[in-house]
Amino acid sequence: MSGIRWSYAINQWKPQFDDFVRREQHERALKTISIAGFEGVELNAGTGRWEPLGNPQQLAANFGSTAGFLAFLEECALGAVSSWFWDPQERSMEHLTGPLNPLDPDDVAAMVGRADEYAAALAELGGSVLVVRPAPGAGDIDPLDDAAIATLATCWNAVGRATAARGVRTALHVDFLSALRRGDALAALLDRADRDVVGLAVDTAELVIAGIDPVAFIRQHTDRVWHVQLKDALAVDAAEEYLEPHAHWTVRVRGGAREVPRWFAEPGADGGLVDCAAVLRALVDVGYTGWVVVESDQSPHPAASALLAGYEVQQTLRPILERTP
Amino acid sequence: MTDATERHIKWSYMDHWRSNGPSGPVDQWHSHKTMSSFLKQIKATGFDAIDTFDFRIWQMYGDYGGPAKYQEMVQDHGLERIVNTFHAADYDLRNYAPHLPETHDFILEDFRVTMGRWSEIKLDNIIVMPATLAYDMEPVTDDKLKHTADCWNKVGEITAGFGVRLTCHHEFFCGIQTEQDIDTFYSYTDPEVVSLFVDTAQHCIAGLDPVALYNKHAHRVSGFHFKDTRNVAGPDDHHHRPDSEIMAPTTGKWFYEMGTPDGLVDFESMMTAVRDNGYRGWISVEHDKANKQGGDYSESTAISRWYAANVLERIYS
Repeated sequence: MSGIRWSYAINQWKPQFDDFVRREQHERALKTISIAGFEGVELNAGTGRWEPLGNPQQLAANFGSTAGFLAFLEECALGAVSSWFWDPQERSMEHLTGPLNPLDPDDVAAMVGRADEYAAALAELGGSVLVVRPAPGAGDIDPLDDAAIATLATCWNAVGRATAARGVRTALHVDFLSALRRGDALAALLDRADRDVVGLAVDTAELVIAGIDPVAFIRQHTDRVWHVQLKDALAVDAAEEYLEPHAHWTVRVRGGAREVPRWFAEPGADGGLVDCAAVLRALVDVGYTGWVVVESDQSPHPAASALLAGYEVQQTLRPILERTP
Repeated sequence: MTDATERHIKWSYMDHWRSNGPSGPVDQWHSHKTMSSFLKQIKATGFDAIDTFDFRIWQMYGDYGGPAKYQEMVQDHGLERIVNTFHAADYDLRNYAPHLPETHDFILEDFRVTMGRWSEIKLDNIIVMPATLAYDMEPVTDDKLKHTADCWNKVGEITAGFGVRLTCHHEFFCGIQTEQDIDTFYSYTDPEVVSLFVDTAQHCIAGLDPVALYNKHAHRVSGFHFKDTRNVAGPDDHHHRPDSEIMAPTTGKWFYEMGTPDGLVDFESMMTAVRDNGYRGWISVEHDKANKQGGDYSESTAISRWYAANVLERIYS
């Protein structure tokens, strides 16, 4: 019997800051996720009054309390918020803070405090993983040297200890723009990070775009994989455009020199480069237990993406787990 | 959820559908790829089967090798089969008006040919609008209702010969949509060969209580379209020429998916009635024109099936 639980990421429903703000839109999205066969939802951190699902303060403002939001989830037939994705380098209007930098020791205390807030809410919402962006983009900073790696490790160890105290794991999400993609930075950080409190979030599409085989990655990091985001990739950054400055805007958003219209898609999409079945088999082989969060990102048709992903999970991926003794 | 073999109700999806392709909006028949995407989404939400339209038979033959081959594709996606087909006609007074006996031969021949085309698969119902557009039949007289009933009694015998039940679906804009005319029509038709197909929204728009109507005629009912509406037709809506379904000045969108806010259909009472009348079989879910005014078929399908699974199946399943 597998210990894998299926969740769906809600981020695809909010392409712009003024989209997906109203309660009835959330209700329809959550019901769509539920009827597609998913047990939980992954939230995306955000800030301000147009981000009702972005942080614990906004949940309280919109639903009365975290428990109020949980009741809303349950009314939509979902059982949990599996996880919350948080990029500390995004400002927080609720805290009147700008970007927090994991490479700046002065920001660690604030990051620990922020992570603790998310972890407390997650614990109440039935979740178990705070997914974090562990480092700035490669094009925006110098290559990470030993000192920088040590600073990062110190930061995430502190965050990891704080969330662990709430029963929530901290998982580092290495995206295809990450400074950790360069050289052996990720391996160096994992060496220094406390394996009891810091793990990895494997995002299959981000890895494939970065030229990394997610199956080999899972098998290589067997006991460090604490979270999985399963989504397809439609292009590869073979030209290493991730090293360009401001690559978030010029590469991720604009699509780089090729103006790639869509980097990401739901599993099983036409032209998808991720072998999702092989990923599942690898997770089974290494004994992974925890959430697999299916994502699409950037979907032009969010409900269709969720239903197509649900079909792929029901017909192809979940049976792989069911065949496992 | 009971085991599939013990279920009293199975859910079919009436296959109105639009999606956005690279060249603009397309329906699922655009390509085998768009068909596969449609079928995957229907299956993913937990539907058991699909219904379709009669006029799709040409694409089934032209692009799939016939209804049996098309049904194989449906089954390859985990769905059971095609349950019902909807026979959409133009109801031209010159050749297709059930209240005008001089058009009956044409209608009967249409059904002989139509049923032959479908004969390679097993259908439960062929669904018809039993009358012309309201403005072409009014005033509705007893004679007109008798002629209409006579037409469908003969058609029903033809379809029964192919093992398919003829069933009547009363659009709010058709000539037989008041409670009195519906009652009279069924009193003139043969229960052995003519059935009623209850469309919850259409009856509601026509000002009827679909639950009461169903309870009155339950022994004649061979299926349902479960869909919702937010509007009851005004006194002239069903007279609007040339079309009321899309062009009525009062209402830009008549139909909504089950589970929509502010819906007028009481589905919990409807499902209770389905249970209490001992109905066993298929309920079809429909939300035609879901894409009007910014709607989205995928989302409407998810919401309606969510409602069936989380509300209605707790009443009866």
